[in-house]
Amino acid sequence: MKIFRFSRKQLCIPYALFLICFVVLPLAVIVYYAFTDGSGRFTLENLLSFFTNGNTIGTLCYSIVVAAVVTVVCLVVAYPVAYVLARSGLKRGPVLLMLFILPMWINFTLRVTALKEILTLLEGNLSLHPFLNTVIAMTYDFLPFMIMPLYTTLLQLDKSLLEAASDLGAGPAAVFFRVTLPLSMPGVVSGITMTFLPAMTNYVILDMIYNSTYIMGSLIGSYFNIYDWHNGSMISLILFAVICVVSIITGGGDQNDAKNRGAVL
Amino acid sequence: MTAGKETRGKRPPFAAVSAAAVPVLLSAVLAAAMPGAVLTAHAQSDPEQTEASESGRADGGKVTLRIANWEEYIDEGDWDEEEAIELDDRDHTVIFGENSMVEDFEQWYLDTYGVEVDVEYSTFGTNEDLYNQMTLGNNFDLVCPSEYMFMKLIAEGRLQPLSESFFDPDIEENYYIRGVSDYIRNIYDTNTINGEPWSRYAAGYMWGTTGIVYNPEKITEEEASHWAILADPKYKGQVTIKDNVRDSYFAALGILNEDELLSPEFVSSDDRLEKITELMNRTDDKTVAAAEDILKQMKENAYSFESDSGKADMVTGKVLANYQWSGDAVYTLDQAEIDDYILAYAVPEECTNVWFDGWVMIRDGIDGDAAKQQAAEAFINFMSRPDNVVRNMYYIGYTSVIAGGDSDIIYAYADWCYGAEEDAEDTIEYPVGFFFSGDDSDPDYVITAESDQINRQLFAQYPPEEVLDRAVVMQYFDQENNQKINQMWVNVRCFNLASLTGSDWAKIGAGVVIVLAAVFVFLKRDDLFRRKI
Repeated sequence: MKIFRFSRKQLCIPYALFLICFVVLPLAVIVYYAFTDGSGRFTLENLLSFFTNGNTIGTLCYSIVVAAVVTVVCLVVAYPVAYVLARSGLKRGPVLLMLFILPMWINFTLRVTALKEILTLLEGNLSLHPFLNTVIAMTYDFLPFMIMPLYTTLLQLDKSLLEAASDLGAGPAAVFFRVTLPLSMPGVVSGITMTFLPAMTNYVILDMIYNSTYIMGSLIGSYFNIYDWHNGSMISLILFAVICVVSIITGGGDQNDAKNRGAVL
Repeated sequence: MTAGKETRGKRPPFAAVSAAAVPVLLSAVLAAAMPGAVLTAHAQSDPEQTEASESGRADGGKVTLRIANWEEYIDEGDWDEEEAIELDDRDHTVIFGENSMVEDFEQWYLDTYGVEVDVEYSTFGTNEDLYNQMTLGNNFDLVCPSEYMFMKLIAEGRLQPLSESFFDPDIEENYYIRGVSDYIRNIYDTNTINGEPWSRYAAGYMWGTTGIVYNPEKITEEEASHWAILADPKYKGQVTIKDNVRDSYFAALGILNEDELLSPEFVSSDDRLEKITELMNRTDDKTVAAAEDILKQMKENAYSFESDSGKADMVTGKVLANYQWSGDAVYTLDQAEIDDYILAYAVPEECTNVWFDGWVMIRDGIDGDAAKQQAAEAFINFMSRPDNVVRNMYYIGYTSVIAGGDSDIIYAYADWCYGAEEDAEDTIEYPVGFFFSGDDSDPDYVITAESDQINRQLFAQYPPEEVLDRAVVMQYFDQENNQKINQMWVNVRCFNLASLTGSDWAKIGAGVVIVLAAVFVFLKRDDLFRRKI
């Protein structure tokens, strides 16, 4: 009699099932809707209409600009913070880190609502600077996602490499640009992916902060609201493609580069 | 808090499924597993199914009624003792919501018809949510969408007509037909879809107008009484607009046609309502394009497009005016009043939109089951019983379509809400006869209210005849026009590259150059930062 033997492979079954039910199947449905018209026939109309309409292209550009600006601001703000926390040997480092991570424990709608009140106090009227407010709100919301990976990589950075660089005659700037920065690239990359992608789609923040211009997320929503599942699915797919491209550019290229750079020293 | 959590959990336990139903279940499973077997399996199971359900009812089996309604749109009971409403009607009725309306209905139905009914009550947030849920196969028996959505459902043939006996005023329990206001009934009878009147399928629940909530200290009543305020540069960043295409399109058409709508010969013409209806429901390309321009102006000028936040922004004084439905206007005014902040409500002089939420039965849900249809119609009637109407109105703050018929409870409730104290000095005589009896000059229906009620809650809840003379229904657009208008809406909301000016492009170019320079510096850092020895 053959006894059922438990092997490590079987541990994957729940996850595989989950993946098939909630990732693969929905994606297949989206692809189906994206390439069919109302009567179920194959069509490329949805794809073409996206790229021939100044409004949809404009929305794509607007989302990319919003996401890029948010990502850059996050990076510029987060890097020094993470650097100081990880490198300066503060005794209270972890506690300080906690202070930056703490907001993540509060529901984001609540945080954005609070931010709205603060911005109203500062600006008087929220509607005058919709783009600025969007960047501030998204930066506020996504900052911890940028700090965390940077902090982790910087903390793990081998100090002896830095000492070696100084001993060999590198000034502080050269040490930073030639050793610290290249070695922290993996953290930068994962920080970018964790802020850029949600910033392109998180229209709830836009709505809450009263930016009445659509980004990709709201555009998709607007098509589903009028029961136009075909165009909505196509835009989702295009967004998916954009995200893939961004991941490949940041993920593939830079990580190798970082390794090489670090090794070259 | 949503009404959904009150849903009854009283399904019969699985073991109680009758033996006759088992083959049905089995064959259903078989049919699903083997497409080829579908026909035979169905042929076998059909007679058994009918038999099973009929025998079940003969034993006094339960009827299950699946109802979907807006969130917070029904009395959930559990009132505090001091909330009891002591009305000054003929019988000095005391209204008190002890149990939820759904529980009371189940009890009432058992007492009246001797049949147990099990209500599965769920809620939805938008008409589109409801429609998408139905498309995804979520079946309901009785739902309460807005007029444009039930018009769409009628046009698609998805509704079950109300039975003839529902409209028989001689039946005691027919509270709807015995109590509905003539004004509302007339609208339901005269508005048609494909030649069929609404009233064939729909029974009204709540109704109201759309208008402008405003701060009377900063904005004059005259200014607030025109759609143009929503695009007025004088109030840049001080007004909110509705974040849905139907309401915003209506406002844009109001601005577009302002001159014509206000011209004396138009206002005094006999068929003014028909003319407004025609003008405000146009969907030709020229009108849509003109509306798009106005909406773009409104977008630049407005504080926000909102679907819910406008009430709070109005109450906290962030904005001065707010495009609002009358029911939410009453809520906003009430909330502001708590902080002694006095707001007012105006209905534009040009025209307004009269909106409805109505009960309709879903054909696929009822599925020819007479007992179910009877329960659904009884539910509508129960919700239209004057004391229940008052409970719902008190709980949700909207205005019911029911005037009360022989009962004076609903008028007494309006008087209870808005009638001035006896020693009040500054009062007006506010006629509500148009809604209650069809004539504003009816001396039986005049509320002595505090004088500011003429542009506050009472005005919002029971608009006078002269407002309803310019209140039109926004018609259902067919698929083609619907898409055209929605595309227009997307164009308004999207960022159009063509809107960038030369200087914008110059700035973008400068930004790109800076980024490229930074990348260059980063790549060449070895050469740039090398120590010169």
